[in-house]
Parts: sequence; C-alpha cells; structure tokens
Amino acid sequence: MGQLWESFAMAFKDVFANKTRSFLTMLGIIIGILSVSLMGTAISGINNTFENSMEMIGNDVLHLQKYPWFMKGGDWWDFRNRPDMKVEYAEKILQRSKKISFASTEMQNMGNIRYGDNSIQGVFIDAASWQLQFVNSLDLLAGRFYTKAEDRNASKVVVIGYGIKDNLFPNQNPIGEEVRIRGMKYKVIGTLKEQGKFLGLFSFDNMAIIPLRSAYSIFGRRRHMSITLKVREGFEVGEAKEEVRMIMRSIRGLKPAEKDNFAINQQEAFRQQFSAIKMGISGAGFGITALALLVGGIGIMNIMFVSVRERTKEIGIRKALGAKQNIILFQFLSEAVIIAVIGGLIGLSITISLVGLLNKFFVASLSIKLIIISLSVSIITGILSGIVPARKAAKLDPIDAIRYE
Amino acid sequence: MALLELNNIFKTYKIGSVEVHALQGLNTVIKKNEYVSIMGPSGSGKSTLMNVIGCLDTPTEGNYLLDGLTVHSNNSEEAKLDDNKLAEIRNQKIGFVFQTFNLLPRATALHNVELPLIYAGISKKARMEKAHSTLIEVGLGDRMHHKPNELSGGQRQRVAMARALVNNPSIILADEPTGNLDSKTSAEIMVLLDKLHSVGNTIILVTHEHDIAEHAHRIITLLDGKVSEDSKTKNGSKNKLINNNS
Repeated sequence: MGQLWESFAMAFKDVFANKTRSFLTMLGIIIGILSVSLMGTAISGINNTFENSMEMIGNDVLHLQKYPWFMKGGDWWDFRNRPDMKVEYAEKILQRSKKISFASTEMQNMGNIRYGDNSIQGVFIDAASWQLQFVNSLDLLAGRFYTKAEDRNASKVVVIGYGIKDNLFPNQNPIGEEVRIRGMKYKVIGTLKEQGKFLGLFSFDNMAIIPLRSAYSIFGRRRHMSITLKVREGFEVGEAKEEVRMIMRSIRGLKPAEKDNFAINQQEAFRQQFSAIKMGISGAGFGITALALLVGGIGIMNIMFVSVRERTKEIGIRKALGAKQNIILFQFLSEAVIIAVIGGLIGLSITISLVGLLNKFFVASLSIKLIIISLSVSIITGILSGIVPARKAAKLDPIDAIRYE
Repeated sequence: MALLELNNIFKTYKIGSVEVHALQGLNTVIKKNEYVSIMGPSGSGKSTLMNVIGCLDTPTEGNYLLDGLTVHSNNSEEAKLDDNKLAEIRNQKIGFVFQTFNLLPRATALHNVELPLIYAGISKKARMEKAHSTLIEVGLGDRMHHKPNELSGGQRQRVAMARALVNNPSIILADEPTGNLDSKTSAEIMVLLDKLHSVGNTIILVTHEHDIAEHAHRIITLLDGKVSEDSKTKNGSKNKLINNNS
C-alpha cells in the first residue's frame, strides 16, 4: 500500500511539476468531458421540459382538429379546404363512442386582459366548454371552474392562469374581481396553479379560460374549433383514436375511398418529432465527445512517452533500489489517469457554470449519474492512453535506464 | 562464511552480430564483513561483474550464490529469477553507491533515503525513523530536507551512502564512489566507507584508482573477464584497523 501511495504521490507531483504541459495535454479531455456532460445535461433538461409539456397535453387525450400538428407532405390547400369543426361533434361523438369519457370543444385566440389601469397583451384565451375541467388536468390554485349552466348561459366568468394572476393581482385576491377581456367584462372565479412553459416556448400560465359560448360574441362563431377527447380509463389511446376516426367519417358522410378530412392529434406526434431531435443532439454530442476523447487520449499517450523518456534515469534508479515492474507501471499509469481526471473535472466545472445558462431555456441540472459517467470516462481514457507508455517504463532494463542521460 | 560465491561465471553480450565475452569463467568468494576492491583496466569486465553481483543483470552461465540465495544456477531446476524477483533481491541485499550519485533530483535527501524502505514495504513511521537516523549516521542530520541540487557533491554522495545503508543490505556495492569528487571530498567519503566497514558491513568497491583501492583489505584484479590477481592489502594484513591516511 505504501508503495502504491508513494507512486501515486510522485505521479501527482510530476503532473504539477509540468503545469503548462499537463494543461495542454488535458485540453482534449476537457473538451470531451465538457461535451458529454453538457450534452447529457441538455438532453435531460429538454426531456424534463418535454415530459412536463406532454403532461399539459395529457397522454390519454385526443385532439380532433382541422389540421394535423405536424404536416408531413400533402398539399396545404387540401387541409385548408377541409370543413371546419363544429360544436355538435362533441355531443355526437360522446353519444356513439364507448371509449371516450369526456369531450370538450375549444376555440383559442390571443387577446389582452385589463384590470384597472394594468393590462397584459398577448394572453392565450381558451374558450372551452365546461367539460374541459374533466378532459385536462387543470389544477386550481383558488376558486372554482365554471359550471355547465354558466357555459350554457354564456356567463362572463373567467379562470386565469398563474402568470396573469401574478401580473394583474400581485398583492390581491383576484376571485370576484372584474377584468376586461377584449373589452368585455369578465368576473374572475378561479386561478390555476403554475404550470411552466410548453416546450420552453409558450407559457400556459399566461392563459385565461372562458366559457365557450361566452366567446362567440368576442371571437365570432367560426374560429378554428377543436374538440378535445378524453379516452375512457381501461381503453388504449390507439383504439379510441380509431373509433373516433370511424365516428367522424360517419358524421362527415365520407365514402370508403375518400380520405379523412379531419385530423386526430395526440402526444405521439410530438414524441416522434422530439425523439428525432433528441437523436440528432445525442448523435452530434456523441461524435464530438468520441473525437475529443480520442484526440485527448492520443495527446496523453504522447506526453506519457515523453515523460517516460525524460525520466528514464529515474526509472533506472528506482528499479535498482528494488521497485518492481508493477510499481513503475502504476506510477506512470497514475500520472496518465491524474491528467485525464483533472481534465475531466475541469470539463465538469465548465459544464456546471454553463448549466446556469442552460437554465434560461429549460430546467436542467447536472445529475450525479452524469458526473459519475464523466469521471469514469476520464479514468478509462487515462488508463487506455497510459497503459502502453507505462508498460514501456516498467519493462526498462535497469542498467540501460540508469546510464541514460 | 561465504556471503557471495561466484562460480565459473560467463557473461556474453550480443551487440549486433558481434558477441562480446565480458566475463569468461570468473570465480571468487567474498566473505561476510570483507572489504574488497575490484580493479582492472577498462574492458576487463569490472562493470559487468558489478552488475552481476548487484543483481542488475544475470550471468549467461555459472552459479551465483548471494547470502544463501541462488541468484543464478546452471542447474535448470533452480529457476532463473525474473525481473521482479531480482528487484526484490536488490532491495533486500544490495546497497548501491554510484559514481554519479543517482539521486532522484526532485526529491529531498530524506525521501531519497526512504525509497528502498518504501519498496521494502515498511510503514511510514518506521521508515521515517530509519531514514532519519541513517542520515544522521552519515553526518547529514541538518540537510535532510534539501534537494540534491542544494547539496555539494560530497553531501550528495553521503545521501547516496545513507540510501545504500538504510535497508541493512548484505553488501554495499560502491562503483567508483569518488570518481566525481575532488580529492578532499574523496578522502571524506573513503573515511565514511571505512567506518561503515568497521561497524560490520561488507563492502565491494569498484575503482581504477590504486590509492582508493588500497582502503580495502583485499584487491581482486580482473583481466579479460577473469580474476588475474587476488591479494591482500596493507590494511588487510593489519587486520581491520581503521585507516585514515589517503
């Protein structure tokens, strides 16, 4: 143990005796570890954001709309010429379907909200039927959602998102207050909990939900309507989607040869897009990492050969005094690993300082797992690049080595 | 009692296609607490013999017994020792003193002296104590934490001698220990070597200087890889008296 420790300590000294050289040698490893840890952090951050966003959409929810979320091929005019969605569809689907438990019709638009002298521009206004509360997982912070009767009567009531509450009513209970949405008076009856941004872009907190019928007078009847359907528990989303498709074809009176003139969107569409992006990022990251580590490893190997040559005499002295091959091997291997691990630590610390920057775009943190992976990769790179020079050192003939000048 | 027995030792090197016969049937026996000089013109096999005795190299042929241990034997049953085993023997049985000191330049005197003990697997506390006392023994109690480049030639050689001594070797093998020193410092080093002999160490001194060789009690002269002369010196006949004239 004493021998190993001494070898390790010597190796450590030697790394620090040549600071500039060691640092230059580390560069490849620094870049490699920086790339692997930054990429890992970014992917996990994007993943978290994505999963949160998917939760907002709901994984057991189908969106019956005019347009598909991601248009693959097809002529835009074909989509454009499709008939619009109608409010009645929701009821019809509910009546005929076994696999759908709730249906909510929605119209979405942007608008401004004013309270007293304060107003917020570009608020996402979701005019939805009262069933929305059962279709989406809306967590109320305070107050209540509107009732069936309020929806039927086109009552001017509104449930506001956390962001709006925070902006318009920073130190005040908003429940019962009157705000103006596109100039119309609405009474606040509920506030939503904070939800975060959808895919880091669009904030669901900056949202106001109003009864569908109350919106006709503001938006007009024919805004793009969409019908959100909740799949009944115990049924697969895919089966339900197929069922809804058949019901819709029948409602629209489509002949068997005709194509669907509606789209049933679901989370899956996002997932497919997302996994392609994720693959792209990790592919590029992996490539950069592998390349940087290869270059870094070769750099370490090169400097270790130099180091062995420079210290040939020292190796000879040590062997003459009784150092066995493994001890010499360990000393030089330690040196390579120390260089690689310090490089890895520098790379990691750069990542840590950059995580703050990443956090401006999405919630990301460097996981313990990623730190362990990064350090293991450093150690392995050090061993792989140090083993050949270290073996060379260990096998030196003491007589030749001690005479080396 | 024979401490070291060399029996019909041959050593042949191949340099390219040329064979160099460095040792050609050398025989000698050295007893415990002897003080022997090895002399001879260059090319006589001095260095090779020193490497063989010091277990830095193994003979091509012949039997070599060191302190009851077979280092090399013609009898193939007794295996030829590998690199690691030789390292162990060097560590336990041999203390080297070199002409060029061969200290680790970036380590302190203390650490240099500690090295053989580290490779012997001795605990930190024990080896610090031993290295300390040995450095005091060679008169460097106040220079322990100096690095070689902060020490004079004589002091460096003292550190080397402390390093050779520290693990209580069977033999101290000094190869031209005064070769790089001025005459005054040489004299001091020889006084120290004589003293080490007087307290019971076995010393083998390789030199080409007669007055240095005369410190020993016995001179083995080599010629063409064999012992050509083996004689007692004045000191030898005086029977182990410490001699200070140089």
